[in-house]
Amino acid sequence: MTAFDPKQATLQHTAETPLLFASCYDATTGKYYGAGIDAAIYSLNTRADKPVAQKRWKHHDNYISGLGWQSGTVISSGYDRRVVWTQAESGEQLRELTAHDGWIRDLVLLPGDQQFATVADDMLVKLWDAETGEWIKSFDGHEHKSPEGFATAIYAIAASPDSKLLASGDRIGQVCIWDVDSGKLLTRLQAPEFYTYDRRTRDRSIGGIRSLIFLPDGRLAIGGLGPVSNVDGFVGPSRFELWDWQAGKMLLRCQDKHHAILDHLQFLPEQNLMIGGGGGDAGPFLGLWDITAQPADGVVAPIHKAKPKSHIHHLVFDPAGPRLLAVGHGGFQLWDFSGKDPAQEEKKE
Amino acid sequence: MSHHTTCTPAEHALHRRTFLGGLLASGAAASLALPGVSLAGELPAADALKQQNKRALFIWLAGGASQFEMWDPKPGRDTGGPFRTVQTTIPGYHVCELMPKLAARMNKLAVVRSLNTKISEHFQAAELISTGWPKEPALEHPEIGVILAKELALQESLLPDYVSLFTTTEGRRRPETGFLSRRHGALLLEDSLQPKNIDLPAGLTSEQHAARESLRSALSSQFAEQRAGSDLVQGYNAAYSRVRGLMQSDRLFNLDQEPADARDRYGKTPFGQHCLLARRLLEAGVPMVKVARGFWDSHHDNFESHRELVPDFDNVLSVLLDDLDERGLLDSTLVFVLSEFGRTPKINQDVGRDHYADAWSFAAAGCGIRGGAVYGKTDEDGVKVVEGEANAGDVAATIFKAVGIDPNKHYQVGQRPVPLAKEDSQPIEAILS
Repeated sequence: MTAFDPKQATLQHTAETPLLFASCYDATTGKYYGAGIDAAIYSLNTRADKPVAQKRWKHHDNYISGLGWQSGTVISSGYDRRVVWTQAESGEQLRELTAHDGWIRDLVLLPGDQQFATVADDMLVKLWDAETGEWIKSFDGHEHKSPEGFATAIYAIAASPDSKLLASGDRIGQVCIWDVDSGKLLTRLQAPEFYTYDRRTRDRSIGGIRSLIFLPDGRLAIGGLGPVSNVDGFVGPSRFELWDWQAGKMLLRCQDKHHAILDHLQFLPEQNLMIGGGGGDAGPFLGLWDITAQPADGVVAPIHKAKPKSHIHHLVFDPAGPRLLAVGHGGFQLWDFSGKDPAQEEKKE
Repeated sequence: MSHHTTCTPAEHALHRRTFLGGLLASGAAASLALPGVSLAGELPAADALKQQNKRALFIWLAGGASQFEMWDPKPGRDTGGPFRTVQTTIPGYHVCELMPKLAARMNKLAVVRSLNTKISEHFQAAELISTGWPKEPALEHPEIGVILAKELALQESLLPDYVSLFTTTEGRRRPETGFLSRRHGALLLEDSLQPKNIDLPAGLTSEQHAARESLRSALSSQFAEQRAGSDLVQGYNAAYSRVRGLMQSDRLFNLDQEPADARDRYGKTPFGQHCLLARRLLEAGVPMVKVARGFWDSHHDNFESHRELVPDFDNVLSVLLDDLDERGLLDSTLVFVLSEFGRTPKINQDVGRDHYADAWSFAAAGCGIRGGAVYGKTDEDGVKVVEGEANAGDVAATIFKAVGIDPNKHYQVGQRPVPLAKEDSQPIEAILS
């Protein structure tokens, strides 16, 4: 991978679609897929000059919340409770199944692409064979109601680099770590500051763990929104925490005062760089953190903050660029690390 | 530049004309909001309407509940959101899937899907919809609930005419008495569900307290005889009377008096417990109760918010309607549900919905309401009203007429006769029985 300066992250191109929640990338062809609110799958040829989004197929009938790329096939999950396999080139639906009893919130392919996991409002984590669609096992350990008796949700799922672990994070700030082979719940982490509820001053909960990622060294990053100070919504610091999950200990808090929820985290091991995308009351947000920092107050500030075109819901790092590919409100966003303002570059041309 | 899609804290703070303490705190119960108003200390008249023991419950969904996720869903449209619909007991009428219990009780409810109240700022919108009048510089109109309390209250009752429950800090909207006397104001239960300071002072027995009251009453009667028609004395007497009534009815406010299964039925949420207390108060004869449930202002994460709020609303309102019905109270109790406004058809970048007053809904049940009536219509995306447009004045007129109050009745405020509902408003007859 070409060396790059994270502080030069610059939005170079956007391609308009309806609001997209999920994405996956075919590194072979450079095609980037996104899906979301209109239940359709869109693609963008990221190797083209000023690419335009193409609406490709629609096999779901509600929001699409998760996408995975598996050698020519796009695996999608949605609020219609279904998982659908689609041949990417033709758009032909290959397989479908009703996977959960409730909205499916996230999907992750385990490294090796042989299995994937889904999380849903039935408060289950399920493991599936990516080739056959066969159900392998379910993991049941999340609370089915919030402490106040309301509905909760599992928003995020992550797999460890060796595929031996799954982490699932829910609305009330709990993370379950699962052993994939045995199906056992290894531990339950409490990250309560990602969940805000107060019976008197905020009688409606908000927040939840929206993003999870295992680092190669085994640490776990948990992302979302810090304590909320306003009644309306995402009015709290954008935040992720690094945990030693085996010790049940938070090691580092990384946040910014920019009021936004971090909907997705991407870690670049070679740079020790965590990239978080999201949005909220202060507007859309892209933050880049050096996680080797050791600040005196224990809170790591981003080394660079960028303002995306709109709220980012999912992102992928393309080392070949190096580039960041993101989806969210308004469609696709293509970022590079050139530091070149595309408007100025266009004027030069 | 700051983005800030949410409302500022000031928008959720109390209005500048904060209520001055309700009946108990008002002390001088005959004080006036405007000089020259001829209604000072006016006592409720024991007319035919009052003898019908009609009551009303105002459910205030503070912040602005989404009509899409409740009464007017648009499944499959870009504006519709991810929720599906459920068939109600009314053929052809579907509500959001978050309200299955109310869907099964739609024969008890009427829904108006065609409100266009134009104002989408919290304070102004709240004032408009809760009074039925646009803001006037020279006249402060009373809240609908205050008028209902005044019109429905029985003179001899020892209970408060109006009790308002809201124990959270944001989005609170206290009932304004406007140009009416503050004696018609609500007893505010904000810190707890128990009225404050209704226990006898330590060392004072009930007998001693009664003796003191007899002396006070005798002296005030002598005073009144010498100054016939003194509003001030009447006001003081009324206030003392109500305080005595409250002190004798402390058990009424104690939910521990309810059987455990009744408490469970309403649910353990604050809204559930508040509505249970409301039912106790209404059953005991309090003519007007308001229950406010806040935090509906969902600029971000609208669907997650409504996924939490609407099922609670669905359960509690369903139980309440059943409970009132089972006790034979529903036919005499008007229940109406209002917000400042609805939410935008457009789903914003934070998956929220913003304020929207151009096309939204309200619901009512009970006294004077034609259960099962669904009035008005919005277009396929919920952007515009296409049938049966109604405004805030129409809502007020409908509420008054439902309990048998003539919306055209006038109060004399100085030289100006002021009708209860705005002059050009019309009751929505289609939802009235």
